[in-house]
Amino acid sequence: MRIRLSKQTLQVLDALLTRPGQWLYGYSLSQSTGIASGTLYPILMRLDKLHWLETRWEEAKIPGRPPRHLYRLSGTAREWAREEIRTAGEQRFWKTAEHEA
Amino acid sequence: MSMAKQESSVTARMARWVLWYAVRHWPEENREWGLALAAEVDEPASTFDAVRWSFGGIVLFTRSVLSSLWSWMKLPAGSSLSGGADGPSLLPKRSRVFTAVVLAGAAMLLILPEGREAIRTVRSSWQGYQLSGSDARMLEELAARAEKERDAGTLAFAALSALDRTRGAAWTERAVAMDPQLIWVYGARNHGPSIDPPKEEWLARLQAADPGNAVPDLLAADALAQPRLRAFYEHGGEKEDPHQLMASDGNRMALMEHAFKAPRYDSYFQRHYQLARTVWSRERNLPPTVVLYGMRQHALPNLLNIRTYSEIEIEEAKKARESGDPKRAESLLDGVDAFGMRMADANGMEIEKLIGLVIARNANKEMAKLYQVPGGTEDAQTAAKRLEQIEGRVQGVRLTLNPSRNARARAFRREAFFVQAFGSLGLIAGLAALAGILLLELWPGRLRNAKTIWWRAACWSADYAPATVLLACGAFLLSFLPFQSAFEEYRTSDFLLGDEQVLTEAMRSLFEIPTYVVGVDAAVEVWSFVTIGLSLLLLFVLVRGFRRIKHTAANPV
Repeated sequence: MRIRLSKQTLQVLDALLTRPGQWLYGYSLSQSTGIASGTLYPILMRLDKLHWLETRWEEAKIPGRPPRHLYRLSGTAREWAREEIRTAGEQRFWKTAEHEA
Repeated sequence: MSMAKQESSVTARMARWVLWYAVRHWPEENREWGLALAAEVDEPASTFDAVRWSFGGIVLFTRSVLSSLWSWMKLPAGSSLSGGADGPSLLPKRSRVFTAVVLAGAAMLLILPEGREAIRTVRSSWQGYQLSGSDARMLEELAARAEKERDAGTLAFAALSALDRTRGAAWTERAVAMDPQLIWVYGARNHGPSIDPPKEEWLARLQAADPGNAVPDLLAADALAQPRLRAFYEHGGEKEDPHQLMASDGNRMALMEHAFKAPRYDSYFQRHYQLARTVWSRERNLPPTVVLYGMRQHALPNLLNIRTYSEIEIEEAKKARESGDPKRAESLLDGVDAFGMRMADANGMEIEKLIGLVIARNANKEMAKLYQVPGGTEDAQTAAKRLEQIEGRVQGVRLTLNPSRNARARAFRREAFFVQAFGSLGLIAGLAALAGILLLELWPGRLRNAKTIWWRAACWSADYAPATVLLACGAFLLSFLPFQSAFEEYRTSDFLLGDEQVLTEAMRSLFEIPTYVVGVDAAVEVWSFVTIGLSLLLLFVLVRGFRRIKHTAANPV
């Protein structure tokens, strides 16, 4: 499935692909990409709607705090995400974090 | 992931509280994401990061609310985002967006200056062109501004239109003090037994300032009659013969005689008209009612008193003729004729012209009798010719005053029907739309489950009433254009009194339907309709009962 992705979406996909099977918190994604919550969550919502994202709730480790939401890319979505990132890199539209490093 | 130390500054706590408050009101369909975002708000270590995270949450909340609202707007009235409708046939066909756009279009039309003027005028016509509370407040503001800016003309206008007699009198005094040229306002502000008692000092000053004019003397003569007139209005009693009443009052007779001999007749209507026109062309937001009310309240000398005095004079001439003193008779009749023609030729109201012509006609009729003597043939022919001319003018003025015989007035009456019809249709459709939409939005479950005719009526109203409102508003404005053009013609006119007639005819035509609807005839018709309606209902019940009995007899099981 080819969709039009923004630079910020590619950044989020790149962050999710860094450790593909691992569940990530929203705040840690925000920290690693530098994207503010008001932009990050609409991206996550969109990816979820496209079924690229797997989500689950985790009970809080500190009593009294609310459960936290976790995210990771689904199996098929990982391939699509890599393809999208590669295409964007070829078009010099975007560089991955590895390239920037 | 390490658990960051929670920032506990007041700002951070406030930011967290705001975010959690927003989550409580988050739209249901994506509240999960609001909870997910808010669950992370304890993670940022610094106040700045906590506030930034919360701010992002508020942005997302706003987007979610707007998105949810848009989705809700795309559904028909009575339906919710979570669904739950019994079926599409029980919901209106049009979406909320369509309804909102159509109603906004109607509102836009009515907000236009022409729309506001149309509403003000039609509303006034249903209030009998009486000054409303908002009109009175508008006049107060106008007078206050005029006093501040030392604008004597506008203050005089407010004084002439004011309903409150104390304020009207105070504004009159201040306007004349600012500009002594406006002393005529003393004579133009209405002096009636139930409106505004005449002020002797005003009339005395006016008589001194305008000595060649008959009107101040006539107003002073009317003021002398006021106490007896007021006593009659307040306590009733046997009506006295006006001729005897006037003839028995030497002071009144002297004033009337002086007025009839005065070289001019000016009831200041032309000046009032010019003042109203000038102020209205500057203050375009003034409702036509305010202007027309002031003009209608313009003080005229008592026309009955004028006619009574003329009849006394003509009777005196008749006696002189019969006693063989034709010179005195001629002199008296000439005086009455000249006064009548001065009234008819002055720039006053049509009714003044008519009374002036009638007085002159009566004097000339008596003159014709005076000349019916041997040797008076030539004078008799001259008198007959003059009588014919006056009669022609009388018919002309009567034609102007009779709306049913005046082509322009007839056209206004026709157009007024459309204005009132479309205005009423717009109002009824607006109320129907409001009722339908409120029923669907406030009690959707109850009505939908009941499947009553009310639910269908509400759906039908929500579908068609807004479009009817838009169409009716458009037609209302279009049909009001001739009236708007009449007002504009009046405002931009070059001091011609004919324009005042256009304004009066326009306003009078709009007034006819409300008078008819709320008048005595309407009451009779309403009860006739109620009687017919109840009779039909009774007939329906009887026929239905009869058919049921017949049906039961045919099918006993």
